Amino acid sequence: MSEQEYQRARLHPAIHVERVFTRFTLSQRWEHALLMLSVVVLLLTGLPQKYRAEPWSQQLLSTPERVFLFQTVHRVAAVLLILVALYHLGKAIYQIARRRLSADIFISWQDFRDAGQMVAYLLFLRKQKPAFGKYNFEQKVTYWFTFIGVGIMILSGLVLWFPELVTRFLPGRIVPAAKLAHSAEALVLGIFIVIWHIYHVHLERANLSIFTGKINEKDMQTYHTLEYQRLIESPTSEQGGGQP
Amino acid sequence: MDKRLPTRALPKMLLVVLLGVAFTTIYSWQVRADQPPQETEAYCLSCHSNPNLKMTLPSGEELPLYIDPAELARSIHSPLGIECEACHTEIKTYPHTKIEYASRRELSRSYYISCKKCHSAIYEKAQDSVHAQVAIENPSAPICTDCHGSHYVHKPDQPRTLISTTCATCHQQIYQQYETSVHGAALIGEGNPDVPVCTDCHGVHNIHDPRTVQFRVESPELCAKCHADAELMGKYGLSADVYDIYSLSWHGVDLQVYKSRWPTIWHDSAVCTDCHGVHNIRTTSDPQSSVNPVNLLATCQKCHPGVSSNWTDAWTGHYEISLEHTPWLFYVNAFYNSLVPLVLWLAGIYVLLQILRNTVDRARRSL
Repeated sequence: MSEQEYQRARLHPAIHVERVFTRFTLSQRWEHALLMLSVVVLLLTGLPQKYRAEPWSQQLLSTPERVFLFQTVHRVAAVLLILVALYHLGKAIYQIARRRLSADIFISWQDFRDAGQMVAYLLFLRKQKPAFGKYNFEQKVTYWFTFIGVGIMILSGLVLWFPELVTRFLPGRIVPAAKLAHSAEALVLGIFIVIWHIYHVHLERANLSIFTGKINEKDMQTYHTLEYQRLIESPTSEQGGGQP
Repeated sequence: MDKRLPTRALPKMLLVVLLGVAFTTIYSWQVRADQPPQETEAYCLSCHSNPNLKMTLPSGEELPLYIDPAELARSIHSPLGIECEACHTEIKTYPHTKIEYASRRELSRSYYISCKKCHSAIYEKAQDSVHAQVAIENPSAPICTDCHGSHYVHKPDQPRTLISTTCATCHQQIYQQYETSVHGAALIGEGNPDVPVCTDCHGVHNIHDPRTVQFRVESPELCAKCHADAELMGKYGLSADVYDIYSLSWHGVDLQVYKSRWPTIWHDSAVCTDCHGVHNIRTTSDPQSSVNPVNLLATCQKCHPGVSSNWTDAWTGHYEISLEHTPWLFYVNAFYNSLVPLVLWLAGIYVLLQILRNTVDRARRSL
């Protein structure tokens, strides 16, 4: 609704109008859902393989057929993750080509200042949290840590999946290096998501906008103050610009 | 002529008869009590020291009956007082009971059971061996006397090379491989006491079939008996970590899982011998070694057919992660060793501070 309609509706005391902002596009919500699904399946089928020498893993991988099953499910989920990643990158490239890629998710100097101020706030050195834009630096850290992590997992995973093919083009020492990287990165990424991401979206506040695509006005005002002000002040300045 | 016995000779004759009776009584009592009869050797040798003594068996084979008294005296049993009748229990007198064996082999296969009388534990162990299993169908399968000898039994490991040459009696081809291996050459050439002879890996009396799943999954431990011994390996400038590092490798972990979970299921993950060879193991620097750089690709290709020459670099060569031997692994490892704690501590502390600050804020608001 337009600003005019909004003001008119508010005139009636019985009507409470709450404005809702679009935070994520349908495509982004699907990407997140499929990313989440594939990562969970990959961790659940991958960790027992990483810890094959441990008794708990051997209870799960109780027969050679079970090992094969876990490997197969792991690879199916890996294909899904690769497709999500390719779609994500493809869309970004398409948007760059059409000069429509939003700069919101990219890290700027402001994020470092925000981080410093946020730490000062957490240490009771500041009274207020800094005002954030569309994505605060915590969310950018989540995005880029996952972006790089998924990249490492896919590349090292492909080396482990097709070692004989890969070593036709690349030095053999990439295989043990990929095995170590795949194993270590999986753990870092898994633990990082549990500590950082789960805390920020579930414990700090129930932030389900990645599923609904929407964010209410109050949350928008509180957590993304700068973005809120920008949209209110020039509501028509930017339409449809997607995020990577 | 007076044909009567002279009465003066009677006491002497009586003495001879009494002695004879006493001797045979004691002698037969000893035999009945199943004691190794003593003092029979000289009596037996009175005939059997004749080099021409022999007989022909129904098979047409000639059975020499000659015993070399000098050789017998050097054997292990005779000087200990364990003489002929300890084994030849059914021969108590002359003329002997008739021999009923059709061939020399049949005779040996029946006679060796006498070894059990004294060496029962070893005999039972040997009954579990692959040789005993084969012996059910194959009369040539070795029995005690084939390795130890029958009359001229000596210590089987004096000198130590004797062990391998004993096995070589039947396992000629394998012995030829062993002879040129790093182990065999050291044994035969230098009389090295550290290198394994056949029995160190295959066992002595309870030799099992080395082609089984069980032997395969346990074989790396066999190598580790020496190759994980730091003191022993130090003598030859070899790493004693090879087994531990193998155990952490792709092949090694696979093997451990199969060994502990599915010991009866065949697996193809490489064990020591798949790469290094079995009897023909050579030192890595030997151009004929299957793991020498010139042959390594072909060795990998046994299990990984068609891999390119880059493939061999995927093998970290039983080395710990180090800048010198495995630089890529070293950097990846260093990266994660510093990144993981850094990221996780930072994330953890940041989230903890957030929890703290939020709790304080909430408490203040409710005041």
